[in-house]
Amino acid sequence: MGTEFLNTYLFNVLVLTIFVNIAISLYGVFARPSLIKKIIAVTILSDSVNTLAIIVGYRGWPSPTTPPKPPVLTVLKPTAKDIELFASTAVDPLPQALVLTAIVIGLAVTLFLVFLALQIYRLYGTTDVRRIAKLKG
Amino acid sequence: MNYEVLTYAVLAILGLISTVATLLAILEKDLVKAVIFSAIQSTVYAFIYYILMAPDIDLVYIPVAVGLYPGVVLFLIKKTERFEGDEG
Amino acid sequence: MKAKEIVIVVSVILFVLLVALALSIGALGMLLPPPSVREVAKWFLKTTFDPHNRLFSAMAPEAVTAIVWDYRGLDTLFETAVFFLAIIGSVAIMRGISSKLEVGRGLSLIVKTVTKITLVMILAVAASIALHGHLTPGGGFQGGAAAAVVPLLVLVIFSIYFLEAKGVTKNTMLVLRSAGLIGIGLTTFLTLLIALPTLTNAYIFQNQPKAYASVGLPYEIGGSLTGGSLLLFNIFEMFAVAAGFTLVFILLAIPETEVLKMLRGEEVGH
Repeated sequence: MGTEFLNTYLFNVLVLTIFVNIAISLYGVFARPSLIKKIIAVTILSDSVNTLAIIVGYRGWPSPTTPPKPPVLTVLKPTAKDIELFASTAVDPLPQALVLTAIVIGLAVTLFLVFLALQIYRLYGTTDVRRIAKLKG
Repeated sequence: MNYEVLTYAVLAILGLISTVATLLAILEKDLVKAVIFSAIQSTVYAFIYYILMAPDIDLVYIPVAVGLYPGVVLFLIKKTERFEGDEG
Repeated sequence: MKAKEIVIVVSVILFVLLVALALSIGALGMLLPPPSVREVAKWFLKTTFDPHNRLFSAMAPEAVTAIVWDYRGLDTLFETAVFFLAIIGSVAIMRGISSKLEVGRGLSLIVKTVTKITLVMILAVAASIALHGHLTPGGGFQGGAAAAVVPLLVLVIFSIYFLEAKGVTKNTMLVLRSAGLIGIGLTTFLTLLIALPTLTNAYIFQNQPKAYASVGLPYEIGGSLTGGSLLLFNIFEMFAVAAGFTLVFILLAIPETEVLKMLRGEEVGH
């Protein structure tokens, strides 16, 4: 009973740190006045949400000495028993495929944001949003 | 040897290190140091992905978040301002 | 101030540890991960490589690559479209700007010699990751992102003028990226093109023969697994992604003084 409570506590610490990361980066997006700091905070936010999606796809250990395996079949000519063993010790492959797409889309949006910030600096001479808001067009 | 408790303990310690790195990255005024802290946080996330048995995402995440993305932001900082302004 | 930051960091760590204790006692009930995966995941795991069940299987031992390019290929199509739009938008913002040929200096001789050795190794690792994407963890996007580290290193250590003298310009990278995307489009319709002379049905993104469309690509050539269309997708995606990232770096590495001269010259001289 003590071991299970310790496992639950440590797992809850991990999930809660990801939530605290999301909260801190959300604060960084709307409370810091520099455009570049906002871009850094947006990428931390999207990375933390992707980590949460992968944690959802994890599974419990079959026994305290055998960990779950990544979703890759390692037998060249599998029989039905091999596939049954694979399906009972592998983690979920579907959140990993969706997170792959999400990372690429987040990267594309961040690249475009970097070019837009560069163009704002060339036109207005500053990257401080408070001074840009006072410019009146 | 109970590997399950050891794995969950390592995951919890890595999570705490990533929170410390995120805090220092958001509170820092020098933007180059903020990018370095963000790269440290991405390295800790890469360790977490490896222990959670997700090697495909690990292989995407390490070049993108530790190599390409700080390179692009450092180019941007060189061309614009380096310190976060304080005047209103 | 250092003291204020240390106080904030220590208090956040204590907050996380104490709230996790409250949650695990049973306040909101966050439990350990369940001992078996969901039914949908069991379906994907059981049919990813099953030679006795040819109608439903994707014939690739790597479940994540099979999901990305075979089971949910349309998601990858739209993700490629979003990435392409972002790169075209960046090229449109920096239109009309190109760098003139000069002599650049770069960093010192020691750095240049070491870099020449490691660049070839990085390219070899990236090609291996991309070509083995249907057997081991890897694939097109992983290999392309690892291969895109090479132009970034060359831009910083040598200079952009060295890169342009070798022939890697903005237009070359645009052509390479378009060629990769055309390759992906052709592989999408490849089964349809094969099925047209025999007048059978075929779906797009089809990899193996299915129930009412019994044409497919071979999953095994001479004893080694090829995963059908997954190998072709991985190769074309690696070229497209590496060329896209190189394009962004070339646009960002032009020195700012030259860019401002070109921009002001356009505004004043016309």
